[in-house]
Order: sequence, then C-alpha cells, then structure tokens
Amino acid sequence: MSLSEIKLNVEAVVKEINIIDRKIKIRLMELGLNVGTKILVKNRSVMKRTMLVVFNSSCFTLKENLARNILVNYA
Amino acid sequence: MHKILIIGNPNVGKSTLFNSLTKSSEHTGNFHGVTVEEKHKIIKYKNEEYDFYDLPGMYSLNSFSFEEEVARNFALKFDAERIMLVDANSLRKNLYLCLQFLELNIDFKILVNNYDYFKKYSNTLDIKKLNDKLKVDCQFVNAKKIKIKDLILKNDEKSSHFHNFQKNSLINGTYLSKYIEIIKNKYNLDEKTIIFALNGIFDNLRKEQIDFIQSFYPELILDRYNYIDNILKDVLSVQKDFVYGLGKADKIILKPIITTLGFLFCFFASIYLIFFLIGPKISDGLNYIINFILIKPFINFLYSITSNVWLIEFFSNGVFSSILTVISFLPQIILLFLFLTILEDSGLISRMAYVFDDFLSIFGLNGKAIYIMLLGLGCNTVSSLATRNMSEKNLRIKTILLNPYISCIARLPIYVIIASAFFGSRAYFIVTGLYLLGLLIALILGFILNKTILKSDNNTLLLEFPPLRPIDIKHVLLVGRDNAIDTVKRIFFIVLGVGIVVWILSHTAFNLNYTSIITDSVLFYFADKISFLFAPIGLNSAGIVCGLIVGVMAKELLVSTFSISNNVSTIAGLIASLGVTTNVIHFNTATAISFLVFTLLYCPCVSNLAVIKKEIGAFWMWFAILSQFSIAYLMSFVIYNTLIHNIFYSLIVLFVIILILTAIIYIIKKIRTKKVICMFCNKNCKDKK
Repeated sequence: MSLSEIKLNVEAVVKEINIIDRKIKIRLMELGLNVGTKILVKNRSVMKRTMLVVFNSSCFTLKENLARNILVNYA
Repeated sequence: MHKILIIGNPNVGKSTLFNSLTKSSEHTGNFHGVTVEEKHKIIKYKNEEYDFYDLPGMYSLNSFSFEEEVARNFALKFDAERIMLVDANSLRKNLYLCLQFLELNIDFKILVNNYDYFKKYSNTLDIKKLNDKLKVDCQFVNAKKIKIKDLILKNDEKSSHFHNFQKNSLINGTYLSKYIEIIKNKYNLDEKTIIFALNGIFDNLRKEQIDFIQSFYPELILDRYNYIDNILKDVLSVQKDFVYGLGKADKIILKPIITTLGFLFCFFASIYLIFFLIGPKISDGLNYIINFILIKPFINFLYSITSNVWLIEFFSNGVFSSILTVISFLPQIILLFLFLTILEDSGLISRMAYVFDDFLSIFGLNGKAIYIMLLGLGCNTVSSLATRNMSEKNLRIKTILLNPYISCIARLPIYVIIASAFFGSRAYFIVTGLYLLGLLIALILGFILNKTILKSDNNTLLLEFPPLRPIDIKHVLLVGRDNAIDTVKRIFFIVLGVGIVVWILSHTAFNLNYTSIITDSVLFYFADKISFLFAPIGLNSAGIVCGLIVGVMAKELLVSTFSISNNVSTIAGLIASLGVTTNVIHFNTATAISFLVFTLLYCPCVSNLAVIKKEIGAFWMWFAILSQFSIAYLMSFVIYNTLIHNIFYSLIVLFVIILILTAIIYIIKKIRTKKVICMFCNKNCKDKK
C-alpha cells in the first residue's frame, strides 16, 4: 500500500524505503526516517502531490512520488 | 580574542542566539534556511573580545545543499570554540549532528533551547546525565534572553582537531569500528580519511572509493540513531508524545483556498494601506518636516552668502531633489518590510511553501520559491542569495533567473508616481496589475525553462515545519529600524552619489560650462543618440532613456533622475510635471503604461547581477540580462502598439519575435548538451570514450 492511499491521522509504520535518488534517501534517513519508523500523514494538498508527514516528533513536507516509495503498514 | 561558532540544525534559533549575545539584529525568521552565509560580530566583555559567528543551519555534515556545505566547511575548518544549539523538542534529530562532531573529535558545547515549550507537556530532560553520557558541556538556554555572562566559555584555542586529528575515545570501539575495519581492509586508507568520508567529507578519494564508503550510509545512520536512542532513554522522560511544529491553527491555515485567498487579500490590502492610504500621509509629513527644517534654511543660507546660480541649483535640484523624492518613500518601505517580517516570524511562510508547492511544481519550481519571492518583494539581491537552501542546481538557477520579475521595493516609488500621474484613483489597480504581470511572466518563463534548458531532475520540497509563534513586536520593530537605516544608507551612498553625477552631466554643456537647459547637456546628447532604439515602444525621449540607463544601477534612481530632469523636489511636483509636454520627461497614457511594463521587466539591478554571477556564473548573468531585456521590450512593444495601433499589428510582430527567441533557446540547448563531463578525466575533454 502506498502512503498516498492511507487515511489522514492514522499511524503507519515504514516497511521499506525504496527511493532511487540516494541523496534524498540518505537525507530522509538522517532526519530520522527508517524501516520501522512510525509515521503519520497529517495533511494532503489539493493535488495530493505534496503531503505533511510526521516522524521523529517533527513534521515534514514530502512529495507524493517519494511517499509512494516508502511502503507502510498500518500500526 | 575568543572566536565562537554557533552551529546547529536549521531553525533552532541560532540567529536569535547570535542577536542576543552580540546585541545585534541580524535577519532571523521562523523558516528553514534564513541564514545562508556566515555572519560575525565582535563584542567586548570584561576586557576580552569575543568574535561570534552565526552559521547557516545543517542537519548533517553530509551536506544536501550549498548553504549546508558553507556551514560544514566553516564549522570544521575554522579554529574556534563551538556552540552547538539544539532544540529540546527535537533533541533526537539534533543529536545526530552532535554525534558526527564527536566522531570527528571536534570539541563543542551544547546549548539546549526551547526547554520551556518541552516542559509544557510534562516532559523532562536530565541535562547532567546528557552531559555525562556525551562527555560534552550541556546547558539550558533561552536564545532570546541569553547574555554573554550566562555562557561559560572554555579558553581552549585548539578546540578544532580538523588538522590535528585523534580518534574520539567515547566513540572509539563502538559502531564506527566495524566500518573502519571493512574500508581499511579494502582500500588501505588511514583512519582519519575513513572517518571523514563516513561523514560525507571526501579528501582525494576516487569515485569508486566514495561509492563504496557511501554504500554503508544507510546502515551507519541506523547505528547512529541506535546510539542516540541509548543515550536518550536515560536522559529524556517523555510523558506525552507530541508533534513539534503543528498547532491547532494549522487546521485552518493548511486549507489551500483559505491560505491562498488570505495571503492575496493581506498582501494587496497591505499594498493599498501602505502605498495609497496611510503611507502618502506620513510621506507628506516627512517631506514637509525635511523641507522646513533642513532644505529651506540651507537654501536661504546659500542665497545669503552667494549669488552663484550653479551652486544654488546644484544643492536645491541636484542634491536635495535626488534624495528627497526617494526618502519620501521611506515610511512605505519600512511598513512593507514590517509586513514581510511578520509573515516570516510567525511561521506562516513554511505553511505557504507547503500549500503552494504543487502549484509551483507545474512551473518547475518548488514551495521554497514562495519564500524567495516574498524576500524579492523587499530586495531581489537578498532573495537571490536565499536560494542557497535549494539542493538541486537547475531548480536554483531557475529560481534566481525568475526572481527579478518580482517587483522589489525599489521599483514601487516609480510605479506609484507614474500610476498616480496618469490613472488617478485607478492607480492602485495599475500597481497591483504590475505585480501580477511580473508574477505571471515569471511562471510562464519558469515553465518554458523547465521544459527546455533547465529541466529539474527533482524539485522535492523537503521542509521541516516550524511551530507557529506569536509575533515578537520587539524583533519586528528592530527589523523596521534596520531596514530604515539600510534604506537611508542606500539613498545617501547610491542615490545621492549617482544623483549628483546625473545632475552634473545633465547640466554640463559640451564646452564644459554650466547650462540650465537640459537639452544642451552632454547626457542628453548621448541619450538622444540611442533613443531611436526605444521608438518602437514609445520611449524615444532622451530623458527617459537616461532614467532607464541609471535605473540599471538601482531602480530608486529612476525617481531621482526624473525629479532632477524636471527640476522638481517633491513627489506632488513630480507627479504634476510628468504630463506636461514641455518638460524633459513627460508621458501620455500609452507611453506611461509602456514605461511601467518596461521598468518592471527590463534588467536586474547591478547588485543583483553581481550576485547572479557569483552564485550561478557569468553565462546565466548574461542570460538574465538578455532575456529580461528581450521580454521587457516585447511586452512593452505589444502593449504600446496595441494602445496606439491595433492588436493584430502587435501579434504579427510578436509572432516573429517568438520565433527568434525559440531559435535562441534551441541554440543554447544544443550548446549545453554538448558539455558532457568525461568520466575518466572529470573534465569536458574532447576525447570522450
């Protein structure tokens, strides 16, 4: 299931990080995103390309194409 | 002298700490990446000098953008004491950078900010335990209120071990050892090189070696976080999970339609209030006071001591009129900067960046461009520098190139004066229309560049949301004061300087004698020679051409040049003079609109051009000059000829010009695609294999 399909305010756990761009993958991991990280989708823009994702006690913007590559399980 | 670097993650309050310690008022904001280059200030305390450096924020030593690279290089290579400012509310993430500094064995002191907010949720942090676990001095601070006496600084001149590396005894034997061993076995590199490479700093390593080391990063990051979690489980007591950044108000603010309409309403209402309702009244008052207290007594004094017409004219029309017409706009300039500061301080800009991100991505930009555009409303030069927080090169080039289409504060006086002269009560709509036209052209150009020569591989917006904060009135007023000082300095050093040169050239005849008839002057002669170039857009008056030429230096000079040319020293006088055909500078409705559009678009100012060259190179500086001039000419041509002929005539010529521009873009694209870097010699060599 892709991140963009899950409902808002439902906690999910990252199962796999499948981002091809190594620089962005590393940066997301440095910000605290990893396999097993609990994430929460707080908001989605009108075009659903950008979303607000909470992890590591902070709130980050995340593009839909990246979010799709973070596979999640509902907690 | 003590040299002290303030380092840390973005938006933890480094600039606020710097301002408190040095009693200065550097630009701060509730947004990621407000500081893009190092700033420093020396202060004296108890007969000792302290040189504080404020660095851009960085999440990691493995830099992601140019500003992070600037901060990293400075933080590592500069011999100084280091203060690592961390936010108690996102300590886990902040300690990641601390751990990297520990791996490199670089001494620093940790200051924990925003602990009051953290305590609100009944969470606690045992600072003594944190101190013991990390073997680093830790201290709670309030970045807004801290004074230098609150800091206990070590007098250790060799606190940086960058050049004199020794392994950290704390980290030695932990997770790092296994990576060092594997890499050492494969490439026989020394430990310093390996540890630095594991932190994203590669010194004389081959690509193959870098790739090998980088392949360990995901596992290494996990190890670092495990190490941090082990420390924090004994240090932190979190009673209630919370999200740092999002507040209750965000439920309303993050609705795209509300944010968009709210922002547009606030912005245009502010422009109306500042430039058409409150501002002019304050300006008139200021104008009257300066005239009454300074200018009139000085001119009367001159009359009493000399009858030299040249000298009296020089002061009354050369010196005073050039500064007075521009200084009249000082209240409006300060009010607009206050509006921008309130937006920045409150944390609303991050929300806007998020809301507008999707829309801007259609044009090859991302949400951060909103921040650049807002800064651009103040000064395009500052906003060009602010693009350093963008990680992708083409995205950054595009944003810098589109930035001058956003009308900076220096262009507003000329808009207001000409619009008021020819459109009376509709002037506000003309000024608003100019803003929107600039934005529209920037977006269209962004779309074209994104599809042709500046395709973005990724325009990802990876932005941390700061919490919404109440407005700090003191800070807003300090920014207002600083902007007033900056504007006055600019007026005195640039507007006055160039204004005097313009006055001398416009009152000197070819025999080098003084002339009161401006059409006999040297300046008029040369401007007249090239004015035919501007005939197709209706601006073939030598006086207007003079204004446009000096306007490239700084756009404020347009107003001062016009007032000098028409021999007036007040805004009201200048507005009245522009419709009189016997004056050197005069317009009719068609030429006024053509001039406004041309001024909006024609060229970045000299200081912005210097920044463009420095940041993205001479090629793009010339591209900015030529493309802006072409677009300005094209738009003015279409508008002017539509007003005096008909739209069909304009469209035919427009079609031909678009064909020429398409050919130019095609040629540039060809040139740029030829520049392929050779994978063997890492240069643009001819023998590509």
